[in-house]
Amino acid sequence: MPTPRQLPPLSHLQFLALGVILSTEEPGRVIRDVVADYGVRRTGAAFYQLMARLERDGLLEGWYEAIVVGDQAVRERRYRITASGTRAWRQTRAFYETVAAAAAQGRLANA
Amino acid sequence: MPDPRLGRVFASLLPDRIASDAFEPAWEDLRIAYLIRRQRAETSLGRAPLYAAYVFLAVVVFLDCWRLALAAVFRSPPAERRHADPILAEPKQTERLHMVLYLIRHAFRQLVREPAFTVAALLTLALGVGANVAVFAVVDAVLLRPLPYPDADQLVILNHRDKRTGITKEFIAIGDYVDLVSRQGAFESLAAYGRGQTSIIDRDDPYRVDLLGAAPGLLEMLRVRPVLGRTFQPEDAREGAPKVIMLGYETWKNRYGGDASIIGRVIRLEQSERQVVGVAPQGFTFPPTATTDVILPLTLPTVAPAQRRNGWTFALARLRPGKTVDDAATNLSSISRQLESEYPQSNLASEYYPLELRTSLAGNTKPALVLLLAAVGVVLLIACANVANLLLARSLGRRREMSVRLALGAGSGRLAAQLLTESLVLALVAGAGGVLMAYWGAHALVALLPQSGNVPGLSDVRINGSVLAFTLGIIVLTTLVFGLVAALTVRSEKAVGVLNASRGTSMGAKARRATSTLVVAEVALAIVLLVGAGLILRSFAGLLAVDPGFRTQNVMTMSLQLPGNRYRELGARDAFYRRAFAELRGVPGVQEIGVAAVTPLTGNNWTAPFERPEQPVPAGERPPEVGWQLASNGYFKALQIPLVSGRLFDERDAQNSPPVVIISEAIQKRFFPNESAVGKQVKQGDQTLEIVGVVGNIRRAGLRDEPRADMYFPFERNLPGQTTLFVRTATDPEKSLPALKSAIARIEPNAFVAEAQTLSHVASESERITRVVLWLLGVFAVTSLALAAIGIYGVMSYAVRQRTREIGTRIALGATRRNILWLVLQQGAVIAAVGTVVGLGTGLATTRFLSSIMYGVSGTDPLTLTGAVVLLVITIMLACYVPARRAASVDPAKTLAEQ
Repeated sequence: MPTPRQLPPLSHLQFLALGVILSTEEPGRVIRDVVADYGVRRTGAAFYQLMARLERDGLLEGWYEAIVVGDQAVRERRYRITASGTRAWRQTRAFYETVAAAAAQGRLANA
Repeated sequence: MPDPRLGRVFASLLPDRIASDAFEPAWEDLRIAYLIRRQRAETSLGRAPLYAAYVFLAVVVFLDCWRLALAAVFRSPPAERRHADPILAEPKQTERLHMVLYLIRHAFRQLVREPAFTVAALLTLALGVGANVAVFAVVDAVLLRPLPYPDADQLVILNHRDKRTGITKEFIAIGDYVDLVSRQGAFESLAAYGRGQTSIIDRDDPYRVDLLGAAPGLLEMLRVRPVLGRTFQPEDAREGAPKVIMLGYETWKNRYGGDASIIGRVIRLEQSERQVVGVAPQGFTFPPTATTDVILPLTLPTVAPAQRRNGWTFALARLRPGKTVDDAATNLSSISRQLESEYPQSNLASEYYPLELRTSLAGNTKPALVLLLAAVGVVLLIACANVANLLLARSLGRRREMSVRLALGAGSGRLAAQLLTESLVLALVAGAGGVLMAYWGAHALVALLPQSGNVPGLSDVRINGSVLAFTLGIIVLTTLVFGLVAALTVRSEKAVGVLNASRGTSMGAKARRATSTLVVAEVALAIVLLVGAGLILRSFAGLLAVDPGFRTQNVMTMSLQLPGNRYRELGARDAFYRRAFAELRGVPGVQEIGVAAVTPLTGNNWTAPFERPEQPVPAGERPPEVGWQLASNGYFKALQIPLVSGRLFDERDAQNSPPVVIISEAIQKRFFPNESAVGKQVKQGDQTLEIVGVVGNIRRAGLRDEPRADMYFPFERNLPGQTTLFVRTATDPEKSLPALKSAIARIEPNAFVAEAQTLSHVASESERITRVVLWLLGVFAVTSLALAAIGIYGVMSYAVRQRTREIGTRIALGATRRNILWLVLQQGAVIAAVGTVVGLGTGLATTRFLSSIMYGVSGTDPLTLTGAVVLLVITIMLACYVPARRAASVDPAKTLAEQ
């Protein structure tokens, strides 16, 4: 019996956002800049709503950190990936790699 | 610094989840971006434009969050799209989102495509919004923001009214105070207070401080928690109790370096040594706009003295929970009546009443601000009507486009949404511009308002969260007002009719009615403002023409306070004043030097009872009150108050000589109608005084005040250590000021000279609020008139264009140019007439709101009403004349050929 195949757990955008923090924690605005570099223009609010959903799904952790800009103390939202986030990211990556390899060898249609 | 409270206000207006998930982090990023840019000083215009941009973006983030919140409501259940990218995974959602984005993009494109319309609409709206936000920012600071005391809306100041004369005072007699404290039931607490100045003398240099005298309970009423030590106990205020003092936080920090062991230390004020028992918290002052450097316990009798009016005090009270100001007024009124019947000789017609602390502090600034807010509201309405007209006119050009879209299946709701989005975008951009204008406008308005007195918040006017929330409200309102008019009109159009029309586009009957109604509304609103401005103008002219009874030109006034420790003895003060007058007379240009206790035109209402010994007041009645003043001989000469009969004070009236008074003509007329008052006696308590002179009446409290009966007591007998100097000079008194100050400093270096100002300035300041209202109302009225003229011009131009063919036919059939001119002007005249009638009705109904600022003119003043109507009619006829001329110059051959 063939192994049931599944679509990846992450969307492209989620894959990209989690990829930014795969090995290091980053502030939200840095992640948003990277995402924007890939042409995904999200308003600040929409971007953070996306991050909040990932957080609620346990894929990443977010917290506020006090920083000083000029002479003013402000807070910025920072994120780090969780174990299940890393797992989901790897599964997604494996999916694309498997699909890519199979497609390259023409095996995808026969699978 | 971006106000963090703004974020909290916005967050509180959003659903919780969106606020925490989306708004808060985005808001923090916005603040970071703002601060980084501000650091880099990327703008050469200063911080204001950057701040305005930041505020605008904050509004955008807020609206974006609402978009997300609403999108979530219309979405399919969240479980189905877990982990899914909403844009990629949900075609329906994408469609909606795209539609919103399309509407916004399309709106922007439309605005850019028609720059003339956009600039006109944006400027009109930005002016309207800006004026509203500016005035609201001041209203917020002065009338809405909480005073710096917990539950400050429960605090009231006790006031006194003499029911016979209507004269009110903010202070109450000591005897009445004692009885009010024991009999009242409406207040949680009631405590006296006083203000003054003294010097701390614990080192070489005396340290000048503002003091608050506080009866026990006052600080607790204000919920003051000392940072060190304690507040006052009842025993601190008893006669003979050890003398204690509380330091203000700033005094403690600046003078004593924040020494934590200050409690228990003895410090010397002018006359006495006092032990420090506490330090007030940082920022504490009372009243809120005063400086409170030190606080002393106020010693008052616990039993009402026999002479109930021997001394006066201010009193603050806190309402009992559940009690209102009206309850307190009823309670005070009933106690006043009891006191009236128990002590008629001192209390007849005496009434005490509470006034909310804020109202008391804001004084006549409050009605002026409310009036201005109403006036700018009217300007905004006119601006909205104009923009609605512009939108309507513009929508005609797009009627074909709309009809095609309707015919192709677009819902009329969708088209209305398009128009509403355009209105919203327009209002948002105009709102951002308006906030920018308000940033400067509010500060300009503050600079215009009278700076004297106690008006709280004037120094702290800013564009904060509540002001922005107000702006948002205005934007939504304006969008609804002008957007809906345009949207509804378009919705009602019949697509088929337009598509079938052979050429061009014309307004439907409904749209025509809408534009005419809008213009009538504009005219009506403009006339309301014109009438208001006209009435204030007439009042101001009346006030300028008022003769105060004395000459204000070339007189310098300054308050003088002698250091109490060195001038405790009357002889020392006498010697000082003699030397000071001699020295001041030596200053070049000085003509007269006078001294008095009360500066005229500053609202002072101090009174004294007047009674003739040979005509005693019947038992059980209270003698009438007349104005009280302490003045020297030179005071009358410096102010050129004419001597009517008798003499002025002189050397004969010094101490130990028989007591004398000077009265004003009003007293002569009222109490000595058919005889000369000079040489007659006046009874004052147990004393009898001789009238030595009669002088002219003056308007003492203010220019609006009727000339009152005044009684002058000789300064030479009392010689107080604190007084006001009046110096008449031959030329500009400002030039002599440095020489005058140094002349006093030569005799007494520690004498405290302050509040130096010319009497002309005092007179002008006394009516500053009227001037401000006049100017602003005038500007608003002219603006609204101009807007109304533009509106009617637009409507008439359009009408002429529509009727070109008809006009051409008329001319071809023999109508003269004059006939055509009249034809068009008549149409304008009808709009003007209807607008004027509606506006006059509204104007007459609203003039009562001006009553506190009007002077010597009635709300139905025929001259003002006629003037306003004439001005309006001329303006409207001028606005109609241009299109009428155009109509009259129509070439019938050409027009008919074109058809």
